[in-house]
Amino acid sequence: MSTLAAFGKLPTLNSATILLVGTNEIFQQQLAETILQEKQDLKINIHLADSLPLPPERDHIRPRIDLIVFMVNMQSKHSYSNIEASLVHVDASFFLGKVCFLATGAGRLNQISIEVNAVLKLADLYCSPVLFCELECEKIRIATAQRLLRMLRICAGHMSGVSALSFSSLMKSSIGDSSFLA
Amino acid sequence: MKKGVIAKTPKQALTRSCSKQTDLSAWKASALQMTGRRNEQKLSKDKQQTTSENADPKQDSLEEALSYLKKAKERTPLKNEVLQKHLVTVEKIAQEKGLAPEELDFLLNIALSGKFAEVVSTRLLKNLVPTSAITADSVTSAVSWLCVGKCSRTTQMLFLKWLIAMFDFIEQKEQVNALYGFFFSLLQDEKLFPFACHVLYLITRKKNVKPFRVRKLLDLQAKMGAEPPLQALLLLYKNFSPEMVSITLPTKTKIQFKNSENPWKMAISNIKRRLCGAPPASQPSLINTACPQTRKRKWNNKLVLPACSVQSSCSAVSQRTHHIDLIVHSDAFPVEQLQTFPQLLENIHCLELPSRIGSVLANPLLLHYVNCVSDDSVYRRMYYWMGQTLREECPWHKFENQPFELEFKDFLRKIFEAECFLQEGFSSCEEFLYRSLPFWDGYSCRSQVLQLVTWIPLSTFSEMKSYLFKPLAQLFFTSSLYFKCSVFESLREMLLNWLNWHLMQTDTTTKLNADLLNTTLSGLVSSVADLIHFVGWLSTVALSLENNSAFLMHFILDFYEIVSDVYLKYNLPLVVMPPAGVFYTALLSMDSVCLDHLCYIMHRYRANLISAKQNLQAKKTVLQFKFSSQTCQEYNQYITAMVGCLWTSNVFQKDFHHQGIHMDPEVLEKTRVKGYRKSFNIVYHPALTGYAMLFLQEAQPEDKTPNFQLIQGRRWEWYLEYLYSQELRGLKLFIESSIHRASQRSQTQTSK
Repeated sequence: MSTLAAFGKLPTLNSATILLVGTNEIFQQQLAETILQEKQDLKINIHLADSLPLPPERDHIRPRIDLIVFMVNMQSKHSYSNIEASLVHVDASFFLGKVCFLATGAGRLNQISIEVNAVLKLADLYCSPVLFCELECEKIRIATAQRLLRMLRICAGHMSGVSALSFSSLMKSSIGDSSFLA
Repeated sequence: MKKGVIAKTPKQALTRSCSKQTDLSAWKASALQMTGRRNEQKLSKDKQQTTSENADPKQDSLEEALSYLKKAKERTPLKNEVLQKHLVTVEKIAQEKGLAPEELDFLLNIALSGKFAEVVSTRLLKNLVPTSAITADSVTSAVSWLCVGKCSRTTQMLFLKWLIAMFDFIEQKEQVNALYGFFFSLLQDEKLFPFACHVLYLITRKKNVKPFRVRKLLDLQAKMGAEPPLQALLLLYKNFSPEMVSITLPTKTKIQFKNSENPWKMAISNIKRRLCGAPPASQPSLINTACPQTRKRKWNNKLVLPACSVQSSCSAVSQRTHHIDLIVHSDAFPVEQLQTFPQLLENIHCLELPSRIGSVLANPLLLHYVNCVSDDSVYRRMYYWMGQTLREECPWHKFENQPFELEFKDFLRKIFEAECFLQEGFSSCEEFLYRSLPFWDGYSCRSQVLQLVTWIPLSTFSEMKSYLFKPLAQLFFTSSLYFKCSVFESLREMLLNWLNWHLMQTDTTTKLNADLLNTTLSGLVSSVADLIHFVGWLSTVALSLENNSAFLMHFILDFYEIVSDVYLKYNLPLVVMPPAGVFYTALLSMDSVCLDHLCYIMHRYRANLISAKQNLQAKKTVLQFKFSSQTCQEYNQYITAMVGCLWTSNVFQKDFHHQGIHMDPEVLEKTRVKGYRKSFNIVYHPALTGYAMLFLQEAQPEDKTPNFQLIQGRRWEWYLEYLYSQELRGLKLFIESSIHRASQRSQTQTSK
């Protein structure tokens, strides 16, 4: 079983790589296109996968992955279990701030098949944040793409003074303890 | 489709003119229109039918179906094909276009008369989707059928459910209220009981609350236990007349009525969608309630006063009582006739709020009224209605609401305006924010949501942290600079609202606020302090994430401008200094406005601390003063750094703050910067060199290369005057208050 390592490769100059994992190809494709449409001063590589592990044969040409986004479709149990299975193939060092969950479809509460709490719990288990969004709506997709790009820049080390680890601890400190209180 | 829209036009015009409450002529015109409305409506409908008779075959088939249902023999077997065919037609049309009041009335009668089998009645009831309104007569005749007992329990139940769902569509609610006794009697029936409770909850007025009814309800409670619907009803009774209901009831029951997805809601929203089409792309926000024309009034009428409700009954009453007694007449003043403030003052004792409580939001006169009545029931009704509406219309909770985001925005805006008017947040709105912020994408209705956040009332910070600040912070960190700025803006507004509330509390201690006063001063102080610390943390992080953006800094300093003045201006014993991450970033900023702002803030801190200290010495202050020697020490460190930086050029030696810019001379020598000591004084400071340059150009226009070293001695004074003349008022205040010129002049001159 090959795991995806966070620091296994050297970073490439002026570029950042994001990996979208999810079962809904249309959403993945749309989101990827939206991300690429955003104006950036660095090169963005997007890799799409429906599950992990990634095929080993092309591993040598694949750049270092800076951020993995797990797209959970709240309306499909399959997508959830698929993500759960994929998470096993991710090296622990990734969870130091280079993973995030994207929950889609939470807006259709009557059609929901996974509990919101289950997703929150999963994310908590893997120390990663969850973003809620409806990808069908273009404006929200753009807003989500911008949020992901911000995280990507930090994860790829393009934001001076902020590392992926410090960022994830920020996101968590707003979740858990009261560290920001004097 | 077209027909429906046209038939409605007079009504639309009516609502729009009504919304201009102060315009009497408009009111008269609309009153005229109201009387003529029915005829007109019929007329336009007839016209439409004659013009497009062939174009609308569906309409004909509906009429055919209706006449069949009318003529068909009783107990026609279910399998009768003709019956089935006509039923399908009715269903189809009802679901697609909805039914006119007369059609609705007819079908309701058929369904409840038990003419056909129960299955048919159920089918008919489930398809009673109105296009415009439901007349009170329909309800009355329906109730009379129930009295005859021709229909089964299940049908009765379904009828009650329908009535609850359609309550907002019913005209002349006064007439429905007249049936109060009947609905009350339905409480006996165990199966109908919860629905009867809900109906009663909707129609109860103060005059309905009678001792014998209270007794009955208490009996029921003893028999059935604390059922939520019954409790809600009792609570409403208690609100109307507390002296009759002596038992204690839980005041904060959440959702009292189960409002499961009923079959009509879907149909209504479908029709609504079809009629409005796509919402107008960018509607400039209109100031009044006038809806964009593409919208159909009846679906958006929640905020409009139900103008026609009491019209007929009221005129009858006034005729009768005109010569008898004015007091009898003053039983209830119809709110839709309320046009002017003097009118409000005259009738304030006998106003009864409309059945559509939401209409209060858009009516400033009624908001005045709500503001001064001590009656809790208004708030309770508002709470229930608003909570329900927010839950159901929220676009990121229900994806099918997405096309109506504009409407929702408008709704949120209206709530916000009402909150500004009342200077108070609605608790249902607070709950909504707590519940929905974790799922918010940070995009939909952004400015409205952030505006509503500002009216979240003060409560213990630990509660607010998990519900409000946690999701907000997560969004904050991943969102754009502009989002961050607006979050600071709204947190600033929130702080202001809290402080203003505190000021009001100390000024007036009315009975209304008695329960709120329980939050003691120390609780308030610690909550405010926690909020300030939270913002301090947030701003430190945001500045490092956004590369010390000057734009962001303005918003942060705006916040601290209020914080610095909390003691003197808002009379709250609290002084909190900004964190080093904010202070030093502002001090060393490239932007002169930021520096000036910081100078002003430090000047205010000084004034506050001095006055606090004086009061402390005079023992005038309250005990829980949240101001320690640590704050003073921090202030002193900051002020030393600032003076050392801008004036005496010894910041690298004298700065003792642990996060400050103290540096050893050896390290500084290694940088090979010439004259590093002076590099942050008012001449060389990156935010001020521009001024120094302009000053030199003005003073010595012949010199091409500005020589900054010339600014000393008398020129230093002139330069200072020059800076003051450039609107750097904060700097002026700071230098004049915090720097003792006389003693330091010699020192500064030698240091140059």
